[in-house]
Amino acid sequence: MEIDGVAPPVAEKPLFEPLKAHEMSDGKVQFRKVSVPPHRYTPLKKAWMEIYTPVYEQMKIDIRMNLKARKVELKTRVDTPDISNLQKCADFVHAFMMGFDVIDAVALLRMDELYVDSFEIKDVKTLKGEHKSRAIGRLSGKGGKTKFSIENATKTRIVLADEKIHILGSFRNIKIARDALCSLILGAPPGKVNSKLRQVTARSAELF
Amino acid sequence: MGRPSEAAGMEALHQLKSTEPPQWLAPSASLSESARAASQHLFASLRPHVRKSPFDELLVDNFDAEQIWQQIDLLTQPLVRSIRRRVKHWEKNPAEIENLLPEVADGGKKVAQGKKMEEIDDDDDDDGGDMDMDDDDDDDDEEMDVDNDGEQDGGKDEGDESEEEEEEKSGGIEDKFLKIKELQEHLEDEEARHYGLDAKNKKSKKKSGSKKLEDEDDDSEEGEEDKEEDDDEDEEVDLFAGGDDEDEEDEMGNARYEDFFGKKKGGSEPKPRFKDELGEDSSSGEEEKEEELSSDDDDDEEEDDDENVNKKPKVLSTHEKEVQKIKSEIEKMEKANLDPKTWTMQGEVTAANRPKNSALEVDLDFEHNVRPVPVITEEVTQSLEEIIKKRIIEGQFDDIKRAPGLPSKAPRELKPVDENKSNKGLAEVYEEEFVQQTDPAAAPLSFSDEQKKEASTLFKKLCLKLDALSHFHFAPKPIIEDMSIQSNVPALAMEEIAPVAVSDAAMLAPEEVFSGKGNVKAEVELTQTERKRRRAKKKRKFKAVETKKMASKKAREDELRKQKEAAGNGEEQ
Repeated sequence: MEIDGVAPPVAEKPLFEPLKAHEMSDGKVQFRKVSVPPHRYTPLKKAWMEIYTPVYEQMKIDIRMNLKARKVELKTRVDTPDISNLQKCADFVHAFMMGFDVIDAVALLRMDELYVDSFEIKDVKTLKGEHKSRAIGRLSGKGGKTKFSIENATKTRIVLADEKIHILGSFRNIKIARDALCSLILGAPPGKVNSKLRQVTARSAELF
Repeated sequence: MGRPSEAAGMEALHQLKSTEPPQWLAPSASLSESARAASQHLFASLRPHVRKSPFDELLVDNFDAEQIWQQIDLLTQPLVRSIRRRVKHWEKNPAEIENLLPEVADGGKKVAQGKKMEEIDDDDDDDGGDMDMDDDDDDDDEEMDVDNDGEQDGGKDEGDESEEEEEEKSGGIEDKFLKIKELQEHLEDEEARHYGLDAKNKKSKKKSGSKKLEDEDDDSEEGEEDKEEDDDEDEEVDLFAGGDDEDEEDEMGNARYEDFFGKKKGGSEPKPRFKDELGEDSSSGEEEKEEELSSDDDDDEEEDDDENVNKKPKVLSTHEKEVQKIKSEIEKMEKANLDPKTWTMQGEVTAANRPKNSALEVDLDFEHNVRPVPVITEEVTQSLEEIIKKRIIEGQFDDIKRAPGLPSKAPRELKPVDENKSNKGLAEVYEEEFVQQTDPAAAPLSFSDEQKKEASTLFKKLCLKLDALSHFHFAPKPIIEDMSIQSNVPALAMEEIAPVAVSDAAMLAPEEVFSGKGNVKAEVELTQTERKRRRAKKKRKFKAVETKKMASKKAREDELRKQKEAAGNGEEQ
């Protein structure tokens, strides 16, 4: 008997290119809408191009401002490379709305591991009236120097919005900044906080 | 006293003498009567010799033994003294003794007899009383004396008396085999041999002394305490007689001690008195040089010498003196060793074992664990204050300096936390960090590096200046032109600190501001043609710019159009 040494011709393994974001969602376009608080309206107008350019050019996300609804709308495009771009852009815009500067918020677009953490003063300690005002004053310091010192020491960005506090940075740095801010709310003197920050940063610098 | 009373007295004495010893044990009235009579007789016989005495005769009727004895004592005390004085006197002038001897011998004998009888009587009276066996001793001694003519003076009587007494008392113990007296003699001989010459000498002295002691009856009688008598007793009566006589014991005890350690002067209270007398009389010469004991010895020796002229020379040789000195020292030390130690020499002594407040008197030496409290005086405070002043002036305060820790790691550079708003965005910060991690070389200069750079430039400047000063042939370094942008901003704006004087001067010089060339004319100076020329020039410039703009715009639009077309094509496909 003749052995059929020749196998039947096997079909070529198909080569599929990775799905684009657009195709992944079955061709549907995804939207994000970020509302604009009234106090950020004018700064948005001023910084619009700075926001628009990286979103549109680099992230490949469509962005527009809905004036009637006072929202910023984001939409994926066909050539959006990654589905997460949309979310990143949404976070970026949202960060801007919270009060962060564009240049700081842009870091969200560039790095994956940056987060924004928010909490209120009343989460830490119930303060009323003058005490609250004093606590807010302690947080920022004279001319904002306490806030800046925390920012510089921990490589984060902090926004103090009356009651709310927003921190933008990597996870570890957020934690350090949050501890510093909480100790300030609870009543620690700024000098103590500074010295602790110095220790922490020196230690963290050694680690790397 | 009258003759008949004398006779009666003598009769009584004889009677007493003739009674058997056992009869004395039981009190009997007749014996008592005779004793009293004898005492009276003796008293009377002695009375003339005493100059002053409260009693002319011995009162015996209804008198107690003690009282009778006191009377006798009162009489005899001064008598004894006087006799002693006489003896001393005769010591010095032995020649007189020869003269007095025959007289004295008779009188002495009588006196001795009388004395003996007295004592016998006393003993009799005191049989049941508290009177010591002393008197018994005396009695016995006297009886012995009576027996032995030649030797028995008062003093030696006792020795013999003791012998007699011994014989009497040890009647039960002795038999033909065991002679206590012989035993005692033997023992004493042994002791004498053992302890040296002293005892023997004393013994012999005493024996010989006793022969001569006719005048010293009273002395010897009194001298129950007298050493000679004691020694005598010691010789003849020894340990066996222990329980019999307290006095005997005392004397024997004294004698024993004396045999071994030399004569003890003044064993009991009367002793010092005698010693004083002895001291007075024999204070001259040898006794001054020697110690007490030896002086006592000497006294005794001298007394003995009085009696036995030949025994010892009055003046001792130097060697003998030294020997005596040493002996006395040895005796002292031996005595000290025997005595119980003083409380300071005992080991652990509590407060109960030592006399009150005795620790205060002794110089105690013990370790003080506490530093003694410093006494603050003027000088101390002065010195302290001077030190303080000096230190303050110097500024040397003995502050505690932190001990430097071991440098295990390189000291990490402490970046001072910047209190100003950071110029870089967050993204740039992370970018820098990332770059530093991945490619350290390309990293931008850290803060310390910048500082180092600054420091190095400063140092270079300094070196340049120093070189210029120090070199003869100084060649300045080529100037490296450093570019820095200078903006035409008023100087005031550049300064951070408010200047005292405000200046409007611009930073740039006019020639730096001027950006033209050639002959510059103001507008007023221009002629018509020149104005026209200027306008034409301006128009030409403007036109050129406009065309450029238009061209670029057009290009952009074209591009966009192309893109759209491409996209549309793609969709269609």
